[in-house]
Amino acid sequence: MAGRSTSQHKIRLLLLIPFLLWLFAFLLLPAIMMVISSFQNEGGQGFTLGQYVKGLTHPLYTTAIKNSVILSLVSALVGITVAVIGAYSFTTFSAKMRDRMLNISNIMTNFAGVPLAFGFMILFGINGMLTLLFKKLGLSFLVFDLYSWTGLAWVYIYFQIPVAILLIYPSLYAIKQEWKESAALLGANTWQFWQRIGVPVLLPAIAGTFSVLFANAMGAYATAYALVTQNFNLLPIQIGGMVAGDVFPRVELGSALAIILFLILAIALFINEKMLRLARKGQ
Amino acid sequence: MSFVHIRNVSKSFQDNKVLNQVSLSIEKGEFVTLLGPSGCGKSTLLRSVAGLNDIDEGSISVGGMDITHLPPKKRNVGMVFQSYALFPNMNVYDNIAFGLKMDGLSKLDIRSIVDDMISLIDLKGKEDRYPNQLSGGQQQRVALARSLVKKPTVLLLDEPLSALDAKIRRSLRNEIRLIQQRLKMTTIFVTHDQEEALTISDRIFVMNQGEIEQVGSPNDIYTAPASEYVARFIGNYNVWSRQQLQGLPVRGVPEQGDVFAVRPEAIRMETGYGDEIEGGIVADGKVTMVSILGNILRFEVDVSGLPVTVDMLSGQSIEHLGSGTPVRLVIPRDEWKSIRKSS
Amino acid sequence: MHTAEKKKPAGRVWHLFVVIVILTFLLLPLLVTFLFSISTVWENTIMPLGLTFDAYTNLFSDERFLFALGRSFLVAVITVALSLIIMVPTIFIVSLYIPRLEKWLQTVVLLPFAIPGVVAAVGLIKLYSSPPFAISGTIWILIGVYFIIILPYVYQSTRNSLRSVNAEELMEAAEVLGAGKSRAFIRVILPNIMPGIIVASLLSFSIIFGEFVLANMLVGGSYEVVQVYLFHMLGTDGHLSSATIVTFFALIFILFALVLKFGNRKPQAKLPSDDGKEEPA
Repeated sequence: MAGRSTSQHKIRLLLLIPFLLWLFAFLLLPAIMMVISSFQNEGGQGFTLGQYVKGLTHPLYTTAIKNSVILSLVSALVGITVAVIGAYSFTTFSAKMRDRMLNISNIMTNFAGVPLAFGFMILFGINGMLTLLFKKLGLSFLVFDLYSWTGLAWVYIYFQIPVAILLIYPSLYAIKQEWKESAALLGANTWQFWQRIGVPVLLPAIAGTFSVLFANAMGAYATAYALVTQNFNLLPIQIGGMVAGDVFPRVELGSALAIILFLILAIALFINEKMLRLARKGQ
Repeated sequence: MSFVHIRNVSKSFQDNKVLNQVSLSIEKGEFVTLLGPSGCGKSTLLRSVAGLNDIDEGSISVGGMDITHLPPKKRNVGMVFQSYALFPNMNVYDNIAFGLKMDGLSKLDIRSIVDDMISLIDLKGKEDRYPNQLSGGQQQRVALARSLVKKPTVLLLDEPLSALDAKIRRSLRNEIRLIQQRLKMTTIFVTHDQEEALTISDRIFVMNQGEIEQVGSPNDIYTAPASEYVARFIGNYNVWSRQQLQGLPVRGVPEQGDVFAVRPEAIRMETGYGDEIEGGIVADGKVTMVSILGNILRFEVDVSGLPVTVDMLSGQSIEHLGSGTPVRLVIPRDEWKSIRKSS
Repeated sequence: MHTAEKKKPAGRVWHLFVVIVILTFLLLPLLVTFLFSISTVWENTIMPLGLTFDAYTNLFSDERFLFALGRSFLVAVITVALSLIIMVPTIFIVSLYIPRLEKWLQTVVLLPFAIPGVVAAVGLIKLYSSPPFAISGTIWILIGVYFIIILPYVYQSTRNSLRSVNAEELMEAAEVLGAGKSRAFIRVILPNIMPGIIVASLLSFSIIFGEFVLANMLVGGSYEVVQVYLFHMLGTDGHLSSATIVTFFALIFILFALVLKFGNRKPQAKLPSDDGKEEPA
C-alpha cells in the first residue's frame, strides 16, 4: 500500500512543477531582483540604503507619495459612499431589474485606463461636451479643469464606483428584510436599525472594500498616464518614468519606490485586517 | 469459509484513530449493516473495502482474494454513495454503461446488459434523461444500477437513503432488499438509522469509536442489546444504573448487574394497585406527559425523579391516563436486561 | 421588500433617482465615446455636426490596428491555453489530493491583486531586459506575466466548479467503476467543470484585452497590442481612438454576455445533505 500511494504522490507533485516554475520565473524571481536592485546604487552596484533615503526624503518623491495617498483615500471614500447608497438602492428593485443594474455596473469596471481617459476628455475636456453644455446653461460652477487634481479625482472616483458596487453588493443584499421587520416589531425606527444592526453587520465588508479600493487607486497608472502624460506627480507615474520612461532609466530608485508603494499597500491591508478583528470583537 | 474477510484493520487520520483492529466476516449473499452514529468509523471501513482510502494495518479479502493492496479500479466492488455521485454530463444510459465501457466491452454487449439493468430498476423510457431531470429516488436507482451492472463481488452502500425523504426512503429500502435477494448480492450497508438497519439486514454490526460493539441479527440486537451504548443507540430503551435506583420506590430489582435496560413497550402500566406479580419488578410513579405516536401512546412517567418511558398500544382504555395520574409500573423479570456498562 | 416599498412611495422615488444618477454617470463616458466615433466633426460644439461611420471603415482598414488586434488575440489565446493546461490539473490535484497546500495556493493566486502592474513591471524589466533572458519587448514576456495576472480568475472559476460538481465523489465513483485516475479526470471531471473553465477563459480574455500598463512598459511599440495602439492614437486621431474603444467594448460586452450564459448554468449534481459524511477522506 505504501508503495502505491507514494508513487502516486510523486506523480502528483511532478504535475505541479510547471506551475511552480512559472511562479518562480514571473513572480518570485522578478520580486527578488527588484528587492536586490532597490539596495544598489545607480548603475546597479554595491549595497546602499540611499535609494530608500532618497525616496523618503526628496520632496519630489515625498510629494508623490503624499499625492497618491490623498487621492487614493479621497477616491476610495467617495467611491464607497456612492457604492453603498447605490447598491442599497439596487436591492430595492425586483430581481430582474437588480440583475440588469448590477450587470451594467459590473461591465463598467472594464471602462478604465486609457479608454476612460479618452471618455473623460470628450466629456470634461476644455471643449468637452459637458463643459460646453454647463457653460451654455450658465452652470459654470459645475465646470472643472479635467487636467487638475479635481479632474483627476473625478476620474478616480469614476473607476472606483463600479468596483465598490461589485464588492459591497453581496453584503448589502444579505441585510435581510426579516431583520428590519423584527427590529421594527421590537420598536426600532429606520435610523436605529441601521445604527444598531445594519452598519455593524456591514462594517467588515465596508472596511474590506475600502482597503481594496485604496489599493486599486494607489496602484493605478494607466488613466493618469494617458490623461496627461506624466504631468501628475503620483507615485506610480514616478516609478513608471524611472524604469520605462524616455529619460534615462533609474531602475534602482524605481525599485525602491515600487517597494515603498507595495509596503504602503501592505500596511493598508494590515490595518484593515486589524480593524476587522476589532469590529468583530465589538459585535 | 466466509466470503468477505476483514482482519484487524486499523486506520488513523492524523492522530485520530478511526478504525481500531476491526475484524469481521460476511457470508456470500448476506446483507449486513454497519450501524453507528457519525464518526464511529463505519464509512471509513466501507471505503477501505472499496479501496478509496488506504488502511494502516490489517487485510481485506473478498472471495478468497486479498485485495488489501489493489487500487479501486481492480477490486470489482460496486459502491453507491449518499449523494448518488451520478455523472452530471451523462444520461441514465451512459451512467449505467460507464463501468462496462471502462472494461472495454463491445457496444452490443453493453447495450443488452444495460437494457436488462434498466428494466430491473424500473427506469425504462428514462434512458435519455440526465441526472438533474430525475427525482432523488430515481437518481439513487440509477446509481444502484450503475454499481450492479459490472456484477461486483460485493455491493457497498454508503448511507444511500439518507438524502431522500421518508416515504421514498422506505420504498427504495424495500426495493434494494428485493434486488439484493434476487441477485444474491453480498452487500454491506452503512447507516446511522437504526430503524433502517433493523428492517433491511440479515446481520448488523453496531460500531462505536472505531470498534465493533455488537454483532447479531436484527432481532438479537433489538431484544438483547449487549451494552449500554447499543441499548441507547437502538431505541428508546430505558437505561438505568443500579446507583440511580437506590432509594427509589422500585421493588424486586435482581441482585446481579450494574446497568439495566428495559424496552418501553415491555412495561405494563396499571392504575389499580393489584397484587404484585411473581418475579416482576414494580415501581410507583406519576404520569408527566402523554404523546401520540401513531398507534402507540408514549407515556413519560416520573418515579420519584427517575424518568421512565412507557409505550402502549392505543385503544386499551388508557387514554384517560392524563398528566398527574399516579400509576404502577410492572416489568416482567425476563424483560429486565442486565447490560455491559459503556464508557 | 415589496411590502415596505408599497408603503413608502417616497423611498421608491429616491431609489430610482439614485440608480438613474449612478448608472448615467457610469455609462456617460462610453456613450459619448460612441457618439464621438460616429461623428463627422465634433470640436467645440455641444453636439456633433454630423454623423458617419467613416471612423469604423478607416479603423478596420488600418493595418496597424488590425495587427494590434491580432497581437492581442494571439497573446490572449496562447496565455489562456497555457494557463488552462497547467492550472486546471494543478488546482484539481491540490484541492482533491494535497489539501494541505490549498491555503498556500489560494494565497499565491491572490498575489496579483496585491501587486499593481507598475510594481510588477519593475522587477520584470530588471530581470528580462538584459541577457541571458532578454525577452523584454517580445510576446513571451507578456505571456509570462499575463499568466500570473489571470491566476485569480482561473483559480476561482475552476475551484468553484470542482466544488459544485462534487469532484471528489465523482472521481471515487469513476474509480470504483474501473477507471484509473487520469481516465476518470478526462472522462468525468473535465466535461463537468467545462462551464467553469469557459468562464475563466472569457474573463481572462477580457482582462488581457484591457491590460495597458504592463503591455506599455514591457513591450510598448515593439509588440503593439490594442491598448498600446489606442494610447498612441489618443494624441493623433480622436475618431480612430473612439472607434477602437467602442470596438474593444463591444468585445467586452460579448465576452460578458457569454460569461453570464455559462456562469449561470446550474451545477447539475445535487450536493449531499449535511449528515452522514463523517471522516475526512
